[in-house]
Amino acid sequence: MGILSLRNIGFSYGRGEKVLQGLEFEFEKGKVYAIVGRSGAGKTTLLSLLSGLASPTEGTILFDGNDIQKIDRYQYRSRYVGVVFQQFNLLPHLTAVENVELSMRASGKVTRDKREMAMELLEKVGLDDNLAKRRILKLSGGEQQRVAIARALSYAPDIILADEPTGNLDLTTQDEIMDIFTHLAHEENKCVIIVSHSPEVARSADKVYELAPLKSRGRKNIPVQG
Amino acid sequence: MMLVIINAFKSITRSKGRNILIGIIVLTIAVSSSIALAIRSAADAAKESGFAAQTITGTISIDRQKLMESAQSGSGSSNMNDMRDVMRQYSGLSLSEMQTYANSAYLKDFHYTASASLNAGEGIEPYSTEDISNSGSGNAQNGRPGFSGGGSGGGFGGMTMGDFSVTGYSSEGAMTKFISGESKIIDGTMFDTTVSDYNCLISNELAVFNGFSVGSTLSLANPNNEEETYTFTVAGIYTNASSDTEGGQMRFGTANDPANLICVSYHTLSALAEQSSAAAVTQTDENGRETTTALNLQTSGTYVFASKANYDSFGEELKSKGLSEYYTLSSSDINSYEQSLVPLENLSSFALTLLIIILGVGAVILIVLNIFNIRERKYEVGVLTAIGIKKTKVAAQFVIELLAVTLIAIVIGTGIGAAAAVPVSNNLLESQIQSQESAQTTQEQNFGRPGGGNRVQGGFGGPMFGNAVDSGDSIEYIDTINAGVNLSILIELIGIGILLTIFSSLAGIVFVLRYDPLKILANRA
Repeated sequence: MGILSLRNIGFSYGRGEKVLQGLEFEFEKGKVYAIVGRSGAGKTTLLSLLSGLASPTEGTILFDGNDIQKIDRYQYRSRYVGVVFQQFNLLPHLTAVENVELSMRASGKVTRDKREMAMELLEKVGLDDNLAKRRILKLSGGEQQRVAIARALSYAPDIILADEPTGNLDLTTQDEIMDIFTHLAHEENKCVIIVSHSPEVARSADKVYELAPLKSRGRKNIPVQG
Repeated sequence: MMLVIINAFKSITRSKGRNILIGIIVLTIAVSSSIALAIRSAADAAKESGFAAQTITGTISIDRQKLMESAQSGSGSSNMNDMRDVMRQYSGLSLSEMQTYANSAYLKDFHYTASASLNAGEGIEPYSTEDISNSGSGNAQNGRPGFSGGGSGGGFGGMTMGDFSVTGYSSEGAMTKFISGESKIIDGTMFDTTVSDYNCLISNELAVFNGFSVGSTLSLANPNNEEETYTFTVAGIYTNASSDTEGGQMRFGTANDPANLICVSYHTLSALAEQSSAAAVTQTDENGRETTTALNLQTSGTYVFASKANYDSFGEELKSKGLSEYYTLSSSDINSYEQSLVPLENLSSFALTLLIIILGVGAVILIVLNIFNIRERKYEVGVLTAIGIKKTKVAAQFVIELLAVTLIAIVIGTGIGAAAAVPVSNNLLESQIQSQESAQTTQEQNFGRPGGGNRVQGGFGGPMFGNAVDSGDSIEYIDTINAGVNLSILIELIGIGILLTIFSSLAGIVFVLRYDPLKILANRA
């Protein structure tokens, strides 16, 4: 069994509008997964379920064999899963390095010198000292993306979730970001799950799950690659 | 907890504008509150210490108002003769009665004085600024002492006004002017209060006027019988600070001039009165009323209390000991002191009103500001909770931020308040005194008096007491209070600050707890 398993997952919003239905996905460590699909297919909703920010209306999500509904989801988010949000969701009044340090403190996992470790991480994602000490709004979109990745890695979670991580980036930067994810999975044995509609991302992934909008039915929630 | 504190600190230092705005509001509240609290506490302290620091003196006197009311209601119709009978029945307490009541645990001291009015004998003239050296003394020697009222004296119980006031004191404690420093012996010694040796103290003016020195003898006569003379020896000469400050008032007779006050022991005056009584000639006038040439002594007793509580207890004790309801214990010290506190109490109540308004308005502003603040920081709440920080911690962080800003503002505000409290409170107090004084002046003027005679005393804790008898109608207002901000005020303010913060944070906390991070972030996206 993988680190994260979806058992017959369904989700509908309050008005009864179904977004996801009958999902049976399996995610393992050491692999990059791409979840693709057209706009409105429920990619971001699925990511919210995987990150513990929302609860499925049907089925069960298992983390290491445990139903994430039954564990402390604040702890789950702060320690075991690192999320790179589409909008980055960084705190603008803090610097890049402070955003990373904040996540480290929130997890309570890091015992090393946080500043030193945060600087190393930022360097690893391609941000030098100068950029690391800038406030978020003084950084470009690509740089913010890297800070968001560094933040997601800061407390060494087993699972990395990324929502459209290459969405607004130029091709070179996209490749660099994808290299980071591939490295994390293959070299550091992380389970990397990327939600994207980009064919390039799908190509770089070890396994692709496709989501089709429920309205046009015939969704094939099966891997198209791997 | 560390996470919360670090986050709060970062947030404060990185969002200066917002925190300065909150700080200014809290600062304003703190400054106003500290001034208001300082005024209240100083006013209360002034009142308390005023009574604590001073001994209180009281006298038992007839409650004439009550007597009249009783006489009127008792007879059904207002029969003047009945009323007069009742009024005559109650006269001042005798010395022995006063001494009986003085046997009380509540008393610190009891002293008494007796006064008599005597005329000039051979070789002495009363001190006067008017030229009476020819006519004045002549009148006196003729037994018709001018304004001194010798003629009418018989009709009023033999109280005849002579040239001099001779006062006999039971103890040094009774010599209030000497205690307050208003009078001071500059030559010679104090007479012995325990014996009847006819030694006396005379004023410097009288000594110079008559060429007396310590050891001189002076002769005084009974105004009702010029043949009856008494010889005193000058034991000491005193100066009288108030003799030239009583100014502006017409004196009916030289005996009222403080320069013509001769101080002796009570025993001396008592012996003199006995002698006079023995030699007295009694006559019956055409109305069948008896008059006597015997010297009449006016005795008054003063009870001294260590505290106002003892004064109040003594009042109760008098009732239980059976003192008639037509007598009352009163204290001019307390009356004048309570009068002097009126502006202070007005100020204190004004300060309380101000405090309540400030806190009410301040609380509303802070709550509104807090709600705006939290709404504005919705995104931050979303991010923090999305990365796994519990909502309670986020709420705690916001409260700590507000608390820190509030405390800093309170400390600065208290400092400013402490500096401003003294001038502000004294200014307010001054305007209170002015309005009080102008009301008094108007009242005085309504009675055809010049008015405005109130002496304003500089500084609290001065000689408010001791000369109360002489101060008459003039009220010495406390015109300065030490409205300092002390530790207890600081603690009170911090308490208020914490309560205000928590109270105003509650709304914000409710918002934080209700927020759904996913919705916040999704809305933003």
